[in-house]
Amino acid sequence: MSNNPGKAIAKQPWDAKRVGNLLLNNALFILMFIAIIYIAIRNPNFIKPASLINIIAQTAAYLPVALGVAGCIVLTGTDLSAGRIVGLTACVSASLLQAVGGANKMWPNIGTLPIPVVILIAILIGAAFGAFNGFFVAKFKLHPFIVTLGTQLIVYTLLLLYVKMGNNNGMAISGLDDSYKTFITGSLFSIAGTPIPNYIWIAVFLTALMWFIWNKTTFGKNMFALGANEEAARVSGVNVIMTTIMVFALAGAMYSITGFIEGARVASNTANTGFNYELDAIAACVIGGVSFVGGIGKIRGIVIGVLLLRLIFIGLNMIGINQDLQYLIKGGIILFACALDMRKYLVKK
Amino acid sequence: MMKKLLASILAAAMIGTALAGCGGSGSTSSAAPASSAAPASSEAPAASSAPAETPAPAASDLNVGVFYYTFSDVYITSVRTNMDAKLNELGVTFQNYDGNNNQANQLDQINTAITNGCNLLVVNIVETSSPDAAQTACDAAKTAGIPIIFFNREVADDVVNSYENCAFVGTDAAEAGHMQGQMIAEYLLANYDAVDLNKDGAISYVMFKGQEGNAEAEYRTQFAVEDCDKLLAEAGKEPLAFYNAGNASKYLVDQTGAWSSQAATDYMNTILAEYSEANNNMVEMVIANNDGMAEGAIAALQAAGYNNGYDEENNIGKFIPVFGVDAVDSAKEKIQNGQMTGTIMQDAEGMANTITALVSNLNSGAALMDNTSSFNVDAGVAKIRVPYGVYTG
Repeated sequence: MSNNPGKAIAKQPWDAKRVGNLLLNNALFILMFIAIIYIAIRNPNFIKPASLINIIAQTAAYLPVALGVAGCIVLTGTDLSAGRIVGLTACVSASLLQAVGGANKMWPNIGTLPIPVVILIAILIGAAFGAFNGFFVAKFKLHPFIVTLGTQLIVYTLLLLYVKMGNNNGMAISGLDDSYKTFITGSLFSIAGTPIPNYIWIAVFLTALMWFIWNKTTFGKNMFALGANEEAARVSGVNVIMTTIMVFALAGAMYSITGFIEGARVASNTANTGFNYELDAIAACVIGGVSFVGGIGKIRGIVIGVLLLRLIFIGLNMIGINQDLQYLIKGGIILFACALDMRKYLVKK
Repeated sequence: MMKKLLASILAAAMIGTALAGCGGSGSTSSAAPASSAAPASSEAPAASSAPAETPAPAASDLNVGVFYYTFSDVYITSVRTNMDAKLNELGVTFQNYDGNNNQANQLDQINTAITNGCNLLVVNIVETSSPDAAQTACDAAKTAGIPIIFFNREVADDVVNSYENCAFVGTDAAEAGHMQGQMIAEYLLANYDAVDLNKDGAISYVMFKGQEGNAEAEYRTQFAVEDCDKLLAEAGKEPLAFYNAGNASKYLVDQTGAWSSQAATDYMNTILAEYSEANNNMVEMVIANNDGMAEGAIAALQAAGYNNGYDEENNIGKFIPVFGVDAVDSAKEKIQNGQMTGTIMQDAEGMANTITALVSNLNSGAALMDNTSSFNVDAGVAKIRVPYGVYTG
């Protein structure tokens, strides 16, 4: 199964069928473009710099989860524990970075830890749960849906227990230290008077990193081989168990970075934080062409998937459309995108 | 052959345990009404074959099941912390259940608890938009002959009146909205010109709604604005103006229905990208159904340079008034730091105290609603209202 179905028809003449195919294969981009134009006509503010930066910023905030879960989908799996891992790491990060002297400081005795230490702790927590998922998937041949369904519940208990620890008593964890807030929501420079929040750079860095891992490393190639055909991958010497564990651990690390970002971006962390984040992330992946068939997906697609979901959320808001309809539009796009995606592979059979 | 044999042995074992389980639960459920007959006093249903002369039970006889609609709710968690302390003080056996925001789940938990010998139900019902779920829970209690106390989330009067050992402890759902509206109006009338950034005579606002179809969210969304408008009109001011004239519903709702801070942050960021003082259309006030959403909005405002609290010279800087409900600790801290304006206090401790007062009635053998003259009880129905309070620092 080639990653590029376009190549097969590269030498055909430009007849109606080919144009039709081209339109269908890029239907999502065309639709997105039409939507942007429509929204911009209804509300010109939509394409002003401040609004564009907001769209990019919200995309950046939700991107790491999608980048993580995409790896699991490439292995024909999924990861339902993403949201709760985001919640746990957001609460842990925030609690370790509360301002000294705040009345509601969760751990009054530890001061405020240095940011790199907290990032490392968050990543370790996320990667540990990810590796835990991967171990059960690889070792016991359980479907990731089941494994992560279990892990999600386990993590939720830890989250509920954690927010009741220390001085917190289940309250929202806020009152964050300025260094943390500046690190995430501060900005290095502004464009057209709108500051660019720092978490955009974190997302850009992670996107580049994931692109490198997916396309330029043996691990990445093993992941795709494993997702496309496990038996073939095994025969050609891929360490299936190690690769699976690594993919899930990497995903867990990505969730924890979203957790670290959300901790300061939303700045009010409860046991509810991160709830359902995995659903949007999985939706973004499938919209972006990361196929549940396995072994197929591009970083570019994931970014576009997340962007499209944020465009819907922000755009429909800005033209004041009835909120009840938003679910329908979102659901329609998911179905449409996946049907288009499958069509590419069905045609070849 | 071996497999078949094994399977049948297993099946037999399972049936055996199931039967044993039934037997066990059967005996406890028949015991449950017996021990509850005394706390329910002489009104114990005829179905329970308890001897009428049973002396008032010792403290350990009360086995309380406390059913929370979800453990993840910040306010409910503070009620839970208080309840745990009070019930321990009282010396009764109790167990907490997490409904996880799922009514079916909670009803299963209630039925399981009853079969497990629970003889007092304290229920924070999940589903509030129809009385059916509460009625089902109440009927389960009635059939088992044990008292049931609903709390926090409102149940219909008919449900409470359908069983003599049923009571409700909560707030008046509409009251928080009314109080919030009044608090907002008072603040605006004192600071009108400072709040009206573009000096157009009307205050533009955004309303963050926690959830669709929840009575408290509906009332808060409606009355906060209505009551404020009424008071503004009396003072000769223009009514509040929703920031986006194109939005007919006049609120933004958390689409996951979780009253979450994150939803408010995303909305607020989107709003701030379009509305600003530079464009002369800045949103001049934020009203939220709960403190979580208020705090989420503040996070977005802070990134845009607003509501950063007092600086070294004790100046407040650029400020958009933000109002919430619940008075959770982090919101109170924000109000004291000058990052938020006000909130309506849901008294978690008062709620726990009131429920515990009813529990201790049962514990001492009195009727459920005895000794409640000091509380604010509705006329004609056993509903106790714990008053809200205004918190502005």
